[in-house]
Amino acid sequence: MLALYGVLFILFGFLMDSPQRIFQGLRQIIVEPDFLITDYIGVGGLGATFVNAGLLTLMAVLLLYKLDIKVTGATISTVWIMAGFGLFGKNIFNIWFIMVGVWLYAKFQKDKFIKYVYIGLFGTSLAPMVTQIMFITNLSKWLSIPLGVVTGILIGFILPPLSAYLMRVHQGFNLYNIGFTAGIIGTIFVSVLKSYGLVLDTRMIWTTGNNWILGSFLCVLFFLMIGIGLYFNKASFKNYQKFFKYSGRLITDFVILEGFAPSLLNMGINGLMSTFYVLLIRGDLNGPTIGGIFTIVGFSAFGKHLGNMLPIFIGVFLGGLTKIWNVNDPAIVLAALFGTTLAPIAGEFGWKFGVLAGFLHSSVVLNVGFLHGGVNLYNNGFSGGIVAATLIPIIEAFKKEV
Amino acid sequence: MKHHKLKISKIVDELMNYCFYMGSTHIHVDVQETEKYFKIYCKCNYKENSLKKVEKLVKLLNCTKHEEIEEYYWTLTGDCDVANELSLVGMMTDEAIVKYSEGQDLEITLYRYK
Repeated sequence: MLALYGVLFILFGFLMDSPQRIFQGLRQIIVEPDFLITDYIGVGGLGATFVNAGLLTLMAVLLLYKLDIKVTGATISTVWIMAGFGLFGKNIFNIWFIMVGVWLYAKFQKDKFIKYVYIGLFGTSLAPMVTQIMFITNLSKWLSIPLGVVTGILIGFILPPLSAYLMRVHQGFNLYNIGFTAGIIGTIFVSVLKSYGLVLDTRMIWTTGNNWILGSFLCVLFFLMIGIGLYFNKASFKNYQKFFKYSGRLITDFVILEGFAPSLLNMGINGLMSTFYVLLIRGDLNGPTIGGIFTIVGFSAFGKHLGNMLPIFIGVFLGGLTKIWNVNDPAIVLAALFGTTLAPIAGEFGWKFGVLAGFLHSSVVLNVGFLHGGVNLYNNGFSGGIVAATLIPIIEAFKKEV
Repeated sequence: MKHHKLKISKIVDELMNYCFYMGSTHIHVDVQETEKYFKIYCKCNYKENSLKKVEKLVKLLNCTKHEEIEEYYWTLTGDCDVANELSLVGMMTDEAIVKYSEGQDLEITLYRYK
């Protein structure tokens, strides 16, 4: 099923562009910098972008299949996050160095790689760091390429202990924990590089004008998902309502707890809702926003449902009405979609705290990107970690003792 | 494997948190290490009318073992008193036996093979 969606992305890519343009686009995607915000549609074209996302999806599925991992909500969220960021930041070249680093860590600990594979796949959020050093610095290629390789491997090597440790800081209320970890690693690496004179540019490649074609494609994807979910769930929404009883805090694996079919329904419904939100506020459907939608779809098997996500959307939306930006500004659209990393706060403590979390997140996320120079693709996970780590102790301190 | 004994401590923490959540006033925990496994035994009383919660506990503890999830998320076990991580405990253990009946103490036995 997961592989099927990878194949669909590739087919869609070949419908959009000729093979020659796709090949050229893929090459361009590999050599261009990938830091935030780099919409691959603007770099390599629609065809190459979706082929890249499809290939990343298939690579992740193949790796998990080879390791004999049973499909759970965690598996689904990992694969969909790879697909989503295959549209803006991860490509078939830049992810491998971090994966190798994680693999070396497993070898160093004389442990099985299977235990660290999720950390490796999620950890590719720092993949832009590799290409940043390889292709962008003023160093000679003889130096910059090995330096990029070593940096990627080193990041992968330190990710497992750090990601497990930092989980405690937000107590699982920030779903994109690796984003929080990668934000801290990225901040330290970039600070060191800046000390040696590295100048990081800001970047905003953001395509517009594809809402009709991409909206139609997404609707087909998600209605297909709902259709398959209904088929396997015997044409009913049985067990789907049970999702709303869960807070969504890590770890809430809907596939293990309630089954695959209702999880698929939840994924399709949440995917449609997120797409409609972007269209409703007159935002743009492009690589980054579809990346946000795909991440929601993936985590809809691992903690997110309409009940805990909507307060976050409302919080970000209210922020857009009262703060100095518009609700459909690029960074704010992304803050709403990826801000659902904080959905467990609404799920555990109620919708008011969810709205507050979304409201705060939309401000914080705009101010933390410069710390890591945009090399951490899960910037919202970094911000979400900060917001959750601040809000949770306060909420708990004033919560009535049960 | 790193932190293997700390993981046992965290599982015990999680079970204790659960017992308190169930209104226990008397909790007995016994941990045993053998060559092949760790055995964690927990016995506690609980408030009446909590049978549904116990049934949920059985469901969560019976999650199959998932080493790939454990290594990333294990630090969350026993760390929060507003929500539980019993499904994570289920994924960190190989076998779970829960004995309960109306008016009797709740007995939980977990095995984690080495």
